[in-house]
Amino acid sequence: MAKPPKGDIESLVRQFDSSDWTELHVKTNDFEVYLSTNPNSSKPGGQENAAAPVNASVSTSNVGSKVESADVVKLKTESARSVVPEGMVGVTAPNLGTFYSAPKPGAAPYVSVGDRVTADTEVCLIEVMKLFTPVRSGIDGVIKEICVADAEMIEYQQLLVIIDPA
Amino acid sequence: MIKRVLIANRGEIAVRIIRAAHSLGIEAVQAVSDADRDTMAADLADRVVVIGPASARDSYLNSDLVIHAAKVTGCDALHPGYGFLSERAKLAQGCENEGIIFVGPRAQVIDDLGDKLRARAIAEKVGIPLVPGSGHVRTVSEARVAAEALGLPVVMKASAGGGGRGMFVAREIDSIDEFFDRASNEALEAFGDGTLYLERYIENARHVEVQIAGDGKGNAIHFGERDCSVQRRYQKVVEEAPCVLMSDTLRKSLHEAAVKLVSSLSYLNVGTVEFLFDVERDAFYFIEVNTRIQVEHTVTEQITGIDLVQLQFLIAGEEPHSLPSQSAITINRHAIECRLNAEDPFNNFMPSPGVIQHWCAPSGAGVRVDSHCRDGYLVPPYYDSMIGKLVITANDRDSAVQRLSAALEDFKIEGLVTNIPLLRAIVDHKDFRDNSFNTKWLEQSMLPEFEQIQKEE
Repeated sequence: MAKPPKGDIESLVRQFDSSDWTELHVKTNDFEVYLSTNPNSSKPGGQENAAAPVNASVSTSNVGSKVESADVVKLKTESARSVVPEGMVGVTAPNLGTFYSAPKPGAAPYVSVGDRVTADTEVCLIEVMKLFTPVRSGIDGVIKEICVADAEMIEYQQLLVIIDPA
Repeated sequence: MIKRVLIANRGEIAVRIIRAAHSLGIEAVQAVSDADRDTMAADLADRVVVIGPASARDSYLNSDLVIHAAKVTGCDALHPGYGFLSERAKLAQGCENEGIIFVGPRAQVIDDLGDKLRARAIAEKVGIPLVPGSGHVRTVSEARVAAEALGLPVVMKASAGGGGRGMFVAREIDSIDEFFDRASNEALEAFGDGTLYLERYIENARHVEVQIAGDGKGNAIHFGERDCSVQRRYQKVVEEAPCVLMSDTLRKSLHEAAVKLVSSLSYLNVGTVEFLFDVERDAFYFIEVNTRIQVEHTVTEQITGIDLVQLQFLIAGEEPHSLPSQSAITINRHAIECRLNAEDPFNNFMPSPGVIQHWCAPSGAGVRVDSHCRDGYLVPPYYDSMIGKLVITANDRDSAVQRLSAALEDFKIEGLVTNIPLLRAIVDHKDFRDNSFNTKWLEQSMLPEFEQIQKEE
């Protein structure tokens, strides 16, 4: 699944705002955004609602998706690694929760550094109020690093695992 | 005493809650969506946690996520603000299950008052007037009898539905004959049921509401009433306190009714009991109870000198004597609030997100601005369009209106289309200055006039 351009559509809005363009229409398989400075313009294709100046719907779910260049999360307590080394791929958290490296306490972890994984391999569990959701690798490769300790709190888009797609 | 609170909201109310928490020595953890990382609330908080993507459904509206965020950051309390999850019993219950103090009423009370019919039944039980209505009327003659009993004008409504279908206002008794069949047919067509009932029609209604607080043990007090009659599509635009149109006698019974209702529920924390004020008949009728802090709580704070968000924390933390005595609440000023929205009043109120190049708010004695905006702030397109509230306090309504007009003129927001031109036109309008308007005034009279003037210019 392709991710919308870095920084979601906010950066598009900013760039559009500071440009002298009157219209911007971006469309990929997964999302579409149309910006216009003309209050009377409507969404291309003449659909239901007039869309001025911003009418956007974006899929931001990115479970197991490829992060081309991770945003640097600036938090006062942030210590976790947040930059993916060049050529590597990061698996990020789909939401806030608690990270578990193994299916249950005492069990072997889902993956360890050096393990070969496929896109379907489960790499960890994320718990939100006793609801456990597995996170998949999303890509074939070798586990390079596990960035979070077991049972640690993780935030949305926090880097969980780094995979070498080689 | 609460030590650390998670703020499960955004925008100006998040900023407001963090400041109230800090002034009581409470640490604030701000839950943000991906779109709100770089915001004033995030800067002010002691800690920020990113709970999910920009879409509110996957962040601010997910009660499991915000409770989990509170737990893992060591919060002993959660403040829901207004909107989003603030009136979901599920959130209050979830907090209770996890041993987290929910800064608001108990889950059962939120649930009971959230259901309109149950809330009406509760009000009726303690003797609070509802808009008088008839039972089912099957024939024209039954309708005539019911109309005479209710007093004209009356509105005929479809028993099976709402939304204006099958609704007719009868101002004279003979109109009943004229409208009955049409109303019944329309109801039959729209809802498959032609049964009608009648309700007293309030020609000249003001929206008044009473701010209350309760200690959860059956003690409750009020902080006077607000008048929020300037509305568009049931959204309040300008709010003020007190409601100067109301006689002292009626005001007293309005306050008593609100306190009686919430006392009967052993209501905990702050809330608002909403009424329709029928100016002609000098009567009020119960609408509903809002079980949260409201946007317009500021005008009540201005005329009473009480910080209601701090009060929320004190009550929730079970501080001794946190609920003031009724005699400690005195009202002797007038306050008016305008809601500033990033929307275009000249273009069908189209939301206008974008970057605020320059934000210059008025200030001075009696001028309060509650906002999360600043230079360079991007108003994101995902959430509601309110960018702040301008609140003016003065000795009386006339002086407040005058200062409000000047303050609106001083308000400079560059880079964004806002509703300030409309707010100015409202405040400068003769009807508003004369306090001569009702809940339909903005939509039915003022806005058409406003649009006409724009066209001519």
